[in-house]
Amino acid sequence: MDVNREAPAVDADWHRVHPASPFVRGWVALVAVVVFFGRDIFERALQGRELVDEGLNGRIVWLLAGGAALLLVTVAGFVLSWYFTRYQLSEGYVRVNTGFLFKQQRQARLDRVQAIDIVQPLLARIFGLAELKFEVADAGESVVRLAYLPIGQAKQLRATILGRAAGIAPGTADGAEAAPVPEAPEHVVLSVPHGRLVGSLLLSEQSFFVVLGAITSVVFSVLTESGAVVLYLIPAVLGLGAAYWKSFNKGFNFTAAISPDGIRLRYGLLDTQAQTVPPGRIQALRITQPPLWRILGWYRIQVNVAGYGGNPGNDNAARTTLLPVGGMGEVMQTLALVLPDPGTPDPYPVFAAALNGLDSDAGFTTTPRRARLLAPLGWRRNAFLATGTALLLRSGRWWRQLVLVPHQRTQSMALSQGPVARRFGVADLVLHTTAGPVVPRLIQADVGEAVALFDQQAARAREARKRQTSEQWLAELSKAGSLPVPARLQPAQPLQPPAPLQPAQPLQPPAPLQPAQPPTNATPTTQEEPHNG
Amino acid sequence: MHTAAIDPPGIEWRRVSPKYVTVRLVEWAAGNLLFVALLSLPLVFVLLGWWLWPPLWLAVAVPAAMFLLALWRLVLIPRQVRAIGYAERDEDLLIRRGIFYQRTMVVPYGRMQYVDVAVGPVERALGLCTLKLHTASPGTNALLPGLPAAEGARLREQLTARGEARLAGL
Repeated sequence: MDVNREAPAVDADWHRVHPASPFVRGWVALVAVVVFFGRDIFERALQGRELVDEGLNGRIVWLLAGGAALLLVTVAGFVLSWYFTRYQLSEGYVRVNTGFLFKQQRQARLDRVQAIDIVQPLLARIFGLAELKFEVADAGESVVRLAYLPIGQAKQLRATILGRAAGIAPGTADGAEAAPVPEAPEHVVLSVPHGRLVGSLLLSEQSFFVVLGAITSVVFSVLTESGAVVLYLIPAVLGLGAAYWKSFNKGFNFTAAISPDGIRLRYGLLDTQAQTVPPGRIQALRITQPPLWRILGWYRIQVNVAGYGGNPGNDNAARTTLLPVGGMGEVMQTLALVLPDPGTPDPYPVFAAALNGLDSDAGFTTTPRRARLLAPLGWRRNAFLATGTALLLRSGRWWRQLVLVPHQRTQSMALSQGPVARRFGVADLVLHTTAGPVVPRLIQADVGEAVALFDQQAARAREARKRQTSEQWLAELSKAGSLPVPARLQPAQPLQPPAPLQPAQPLQPPAPLQPAQPPTNATPTTQEEPHNG
Repeated sequence: MHTAAIDPPGIEWRRVSPKYVTVRLVEWAAGNLLFVALLSLPLVFVLLGWWLWPPLWLAVAVPAAMFLLALWRLVLIPRQVRAIGYAERDEDLLIRRGIFYQRTMVVPYGRMQYVDVAVGPVERALGLCTLKLHTASPGTNALLPGLPAAEGARLREQLTARGEARLAGL
């Protein structure tokens, strides 16, 4: 039963989560118990009557005793669950033990960390606690959670995990606690103003159908001359209100920042969440523009990150959103974060054509004219372009869409062709990527071009993979000599603003990947630590 | 050998075992004949006079149409099996299938997470197996059925070895 007695040697660096965490997680149960058993007494107290009714004397005691016992059992369960939840960070692994009847040990390789989130539900936020959640690329249930830690400790742990995952702060060999890795400095790149968030919700796809539904119901009620239709609308309005509220709550205060750890996203009104996606973990990206957003030139960016998973839900929808709403400039900045090297000498016109263009501007290859019957509106927009580092797939005349897949992230590919497509001499190319909202698919491309792309893309993916050798992104960069390792260990020194802030050249590589910072010293990490710690 | 417009040029496809036709025939019989038999039940009931509805022509037409469709599928099976092909290239594995709806797929060795070999009862009797490749993408539906057991084992070892040599992260 007791982990302590089984393995006292490793116990030293096992840590527990904050003692209040089960209460924060299970407060609903406690409140329910108290309300259920205490309501009667509470009501009496309010009415100024005697707390215990004489006539019911015997029964009330039993009821109270039962309530107290239930409360005690619940609290004991909480304490036990807290006592048996512990985590350890060592030798490139994070291990989390939970459960006292059914024990579970979960372990995750640090260099496989795909993304790391700090989640703060409202109550946890009040108490200054946070949940640390990280994704490792694995099949199925791959999320590792630590709930709850004090917010400072959670941030510290995040920095340590990311530091080790990046390969710059190796755990000490003798198993002792390594000196804490300071948090990587970050630089806020963009934020979404509240007005724009509200505007984007009002002009969203959802609103389009709301207006359509409202018109239909008004027409219907006029035609049938009955006001009863309004009654049926009440649940619909409530549901819509909830949906809008959720989107608002999730999208509120959205900011994106860049740090050597990767891209940091923060959002939320009541429940806040801070995500960190290390560089190069984004598997595919999609930029969409619903028809109504075109008026104001807004776009939305969604990504596939291994482990975020494909099951659509409100949580996941928020987590896979890299930019809830933004103009062209912000889109370009975000693209610069995701794809520091666009692989083309003159990126701006290329991406502008990818977002808004038609036909073969900037070198895109569209659906051949002979197949325009298959896509009377879209054929001029369906197109692909391969840059040196990514494949761009553009589609949709009204619902504009651009999908971007970095070459080294292509998993496998399939060309397919049905009888009708064969008749028109076109074929589809599907790129397989990890589960998520983005499904890269090139539709109705000329057969010759599709086959050529299929072949070249396989070669390009191979080349790109060869170039990327290690999962430890900072270790790799520092080996190559392009980044002074201790740079991120000096939090006092502010990050250079990344190049994308200059609108004229929106696709320059951001600072962390460039030797922009003066290499003040090049001492190895371990020697630098005493100065910081 | 037969290659289609969407196949990359200069590929020498290896075909799966012709015995796989038998497997497909058994699957066809289990699926389609049972379905047609079920659809024929109303006809029997109508003929026996237990049911007054549907009219006789409808009771005949529905199973007959399904039977024709099933026959069409039966006729296609040998061609479909012949259309399944695979080719091992230096860095990736190509898999193709289909006649009307063709698909050619490329799976880089470095992207393979694991390789499954599955054997069903009919396949076992014929000495065949089915190979399945998994990448980090759920969209990779790389199924290679009807391989002779020895070839399946060889391919599995080969793929695993090559995958390890070229394994990249995600």
